[in-house]
Amino acid sequence: MTITDLPISSLVNKLRNKEITAREVIENYAKNIYEKEKNIKAFINLDIENALKRAEELDKMDEKKGLLFGVPVAVKDNMNVKNCETTAGSQILKGYISPYNATVVKKLEEENAIIIGKTNMDEFAMGSSNENSSFFPTHNPVNYDYVPGGSSGGSAASVKSEEALAALGSDTGGSVREPAAFCGVVGLKPTYGLVSRYGLIAFSSSLDQIGPLTRNVKDCAIMLNAIVGFDLHDETSVNIKKEDYTSFLGKEIKGKRIGIIKEVMDFNIQDEIKEELKKTVSTLVKLGATVTEISIAHLKYALPAYYIVAPSEASSNLSRFDGVRYGLTVQGENLTSTYELTRAEGFGKEVKRRILIGTFALSAGYYDAYYLKASKVRKILANEFEKAFEAVDTLLLPTTATTAFKLGEKKSPLEMYMSDIFTIPVNLAGLPSISVPHGNDKNGLPIGMQFIGNWFKEKELLQIAYAVENG
Amino acid sequence: MIDIDKIEKLAALKLKEKEKKAILNDLEEIIHYFEILKEVDTENVEPQIYTKGAQLFLRKDEIENGLNKEALEKNKTLASGNFYRVKHIIGE
Repeated sequence: MTITDLPISSLVNKLRNKEITAREVIENYAKNIYEKEKNIKAFINLDIENALKRAEELDKMDEKKGLLFGVPVAVKDNMNVKNCETTAGSQILKGYISPYNATVVKKLEEENAIIIGKTNMDEFAMGSSNENSSFFPTHNPVNYDYVPGGSSGGSAASVKSEEALAALGSDTGGSVREPAAFCGVVGLKPTYGLVSRYGLIAFSSSLDQIGPLTRNVKDCAIMLNAIVGFDLHDETSVNIKKEDYTSFLGKEIKGKRIGIIKEVMDFNIQDEIKEELKKTVSTLVKLGATVTEISIAHLKYALPAYYIVAPSEASSNLSRFDGVRYGLTVQGENLTSTYELTRAEGFGKEVKRRILIGTFALSAGYYDAYYLKASKVRKILANEFEKAFEAVDTLLLPTTATTAFKLGEKKSPLEMYMSDIFTIPVNLAGLPSISVPHGNDKNGLPIGMQFIGNWFKEKELLQIAYAVENG
Repeated sequence: MIDIDKIEKLAALKLKEKEKKAILNDLEEIIHYFEILKEVDTENVEPQIYTKGAQLFLRKDEIENGLNKEALEKNKTLASGNFYRVKHIIGE
């Protein structure tokens, strides 16, 4: 077994026992990066030199503290890392140097993780394939002709290709879970408010949540332990007691109540994914869980509701990019035209589309019919989930209806939006959800199974995901 | 239905003519898709703006170490060191 094969806990133990050095760890990962990165393109910015410097500092420490001591972590490029360029995949932020650390980055550093680079993403996290990155598309490490998913496609690809041991992504409508499913890694979207959003470039503030991408469920729980916590700098941060998310791993799931969402079957799902769903149910039953059918009657309305709510919030959030304080500036004849020209030049097509959809949905005369209507549908959905969780502990459904598609395959925006039908409802309700790899299709492309937990029940969610992973 | 010139102005985005036509087509298709929401009876339903569990709070009005000027200067030239330089807006 090589150093890059080790899961987080084994790697940290070996470093603590001085069986290996942090410098060796980074050198080994750097070797993978030099070999694979030209084909995969998971990173927008790599800083191996700085990572080696940090590794040497760690090696000199007498006391080897921290949950992530010496763990090479990749961070999605919409999170601020001090003194590094942070672009969110956009030309409008090209050259922007973060003057501060996002809270999650600060926490990673406190746990002595080593940040090795910033990963590629769909511009401002708007996309499901990484093809909307304004720099270059990332390729799926399983098959380079296919997309890695999005918008945290670079993060998922970096973990799959062993260019990083773990990564952070952000999930507004499935942007951690969909790429996790497409690349064959584990991806978690925590309950809204559990992880601080301070320093995450906002896309849709009531939906965005940062989450880990890892090779297995245990690594995911360790990463979650490192990044959770109440933060005064995020006013939607929730002040709850800190828990150990690894503590339920390996506990038996006998008697757990699992719900299968009836309405999921109304969608066109790839046969092999349906097969894996059945196999997952068998595993759960074998382990002593009960599986019942549950209705989320308004499931199909989640997608249109989301594509009103998220662009509306984005149209407001992205108004800060005006060419005055950072990033690109295109000078016009006056201040207004400087704004307009900078934004026209700096934003890509999909970002413009979403800003315009959101501006339209919030504009006088249309607000009630679109934004308000969507917010009410959101309430109905949240109520249906709440009711479902009276009857079951966890819901099970596929993460996506298809496996990864080829680069350039999806032509229209709506076609691309459909990639997130099974992940979006979770964000609208603010629930936690995890995607776990479960088999492959006939082309060898990974399939992901998704579990949705009750609000703040990450421990139980990880317990079930772990049982299925090891079942 | 969509007054693209108005929306463009509200969004402070100056689209090129060719781009405008393509985007308008996309927007019409997407907004047409939203019509499906009309099927949902939302009579007497309260809108949900924040997600469940979100507890908004205020923090104490205490001075913290904010962003320092040097870090901000890396990003844009500050005229006279303390201001951002923009085109004049008075007398437009």
